[in-house]
Amino acid sequence: MSAAIDAAIQASGLTKYFGPVVGIEELSFEVGRGEIYGFLGANGAGKTTTIRLLLDLLRPSHGSASVLGRDCHRNSLEARRQIGYLPGDLPIYPDMTVHDYLTYLSALDGRPVDGGYLRHLLARFDVSDVDRRRRLREQSHGMKQKIGIIQALMAKPPVVILDEPTAGLDPLMVQAFRETLADLKREGKTTVFLSSHVLTEVESTCDRIGLVRGGRMVATSTIEEIRRNARRRVTVTFGDGHPQEVTEVTGPLGPLLASFNGRIVHDISVEPFRLEDYIAQFYGGGVR
Amino acid sequence: MIPLLRRSIAQGRYVLLAVLLLLFAFQLIIIAQAAEVERSNAFASVANLMPAFMQRGLGSRAMLLATFRGTVTFGYFHPVVCILVAILAMYFATEPAHEVEAGLVDLELARAVPRHRLITRSLLVAIAALAGATTMMALGTWAGARIFDTGGMAMPTLSLRVQLLANLFAVAACLAGFALMMATFSRRWSTSFTTVGVVAVLAYMVDFIAIGWPPMETIAWLSPFHYYPALSVVAGDAPTARNIGVLLAAGAAFVTTAYWQFQRRDV
Repeated sequence: MSAAIDAAIQASGLTKYFGPVVGIEELSFEVGRGEIYGFLGANGAGKTTTIRLLLDLLRPSHGSASVLGRDCHRNSLEARRQIGYLPGDLPIYPDMTVHDYLTYLSALDGRPVDGGYLRHLLARFDVSDVDRRRRLREQSHGMKQKIGIIQALMAKPPVVILDEPTAGLDPLMVQAFRETLADLKREGKTTVFLSSHVLTEVESTCDRIGLVRGGRMVATSTIEEIRRNARRRVTVTFGDGHPQEVTEVTGPLGPLLASFNGRIVHDISVEPFRLEDYIAQFYGGGVR
Repeated sequence: MIPLLRRSIAQGRYVLLAVLLLLFAFQLIIIAQAAEVERSNAFASVANLMPAFMQRGLGSRAMLLATFRGTVTFGYFHPVVCILVAILAMYFATEPAHEVEAGLVDLELARAVPRHRLITRSLLVAIAALAGATTMMALGTWAGARIFDTGGMAMPTLSLRVQLLANLFAVAACLAGFALMMATFSRRWSTSFTTVGVVAVLAYMVDFIAIGWPPMETIAWLSPFHYYPALSVVAGDAPTARNIGVLLAAGAAFVTTAYWQFQRRDV
């Protein structure tokens, strides 16, 4: 089976120009089935443009993208049938109740919604019956965000695209969101494409990340690879009166420990891996 | 399609209800006034009040307005009525621009909803609203005739009323098509609504001014109101079927452009 068929999402040379402005340029990537993929980048880097191209809301200048083998433009309807989407800025109908909103969205494309799963999501995100009867204009930003996540997931689509899913959520709900992603990952039937600025969230939930900068993909790697290859600052305090030694280590600590040659180590501290340190190296030039 | 239609109607229900009630009330008021003038035999005085340029432009047909029958039909082409019906057409037909501006297309079109369905939905709702408007006007006339006891007065025939309403509907449908087209080219609802509103007012004025100022006739054919010569319809010498055909053909061209543009654009 080819990579193209195995990939849940595939972009090849995807390019979008807005007049003279580059939205994204020659963006190519693949997201495997069942994978949780973090799509990272600074503001204006092209994350939302890429997502909107996947959904055929924007038309590519050239290049192509596909979702589960369906071309996002030429076979857009079939591609979108596979997708659950949370926009970065959730649009609402202010006069609708939460219940009516979810009913309306589920009726739009006729995908069946499992009542049990919907109740499970509502309970997990702490949306009460009273909340469901209230109009959206009366809901807090956090509640609207929770409703947005629920509407994206409720039909159990094979591909979920989430643009800044935890924006405005309190820590408890961020945890609920992480648990939901963990459940999806355990079941292995859902591919998640997640755009976020919150690197701790990406680090804790994603299998792999793609980093986009100035409309181009500048890095793509698994979190595990990044963790393994990350340069970590190690501070060693010796018990023999020698000064503290600070060094940077890539990979296992074994060779460093072996280099102490039996000296007495009083203390050793290893700075934990931080995804932002990895990301920061791509933003040295200060370009978006 | 049904959820989209229901949502559209629910969203515009207050505007729809308000306009329908105003149109209904307007027919009642105009029949009440016409009946009052008829009872007091004052239509001859009304004829004298008509501006000279209109008498010149309209000729003998101007006198039709100075009769009970003519005044009742005036309720079908009075500027207020034309404005209300145009607002209704524009309000519902510009909905795609509102959806783009508010980001609602992101929710709708991220699902397996074909783009053309949003255009078809807006078209259907606008047409239904216009059908509702003309129906309410007909009901208003019917109710007015009963409430204000016009039994002995010469009401316009059913055939004439149907012709006027059909012609008015066609003008509004043409405007709705234009509004729909403008909405598909715009990212802001206010831009498309204002543009169509200004064009509609200009078109109305061009046609009106052409009555008394012949040079304006050279461009009056561009105005949809040119194809609604209400007094000629009342006089029975208007090519109503042809006029309706021109208006619907223009509307269809606008709608076709709207489908094409919405299909190709970024939303």
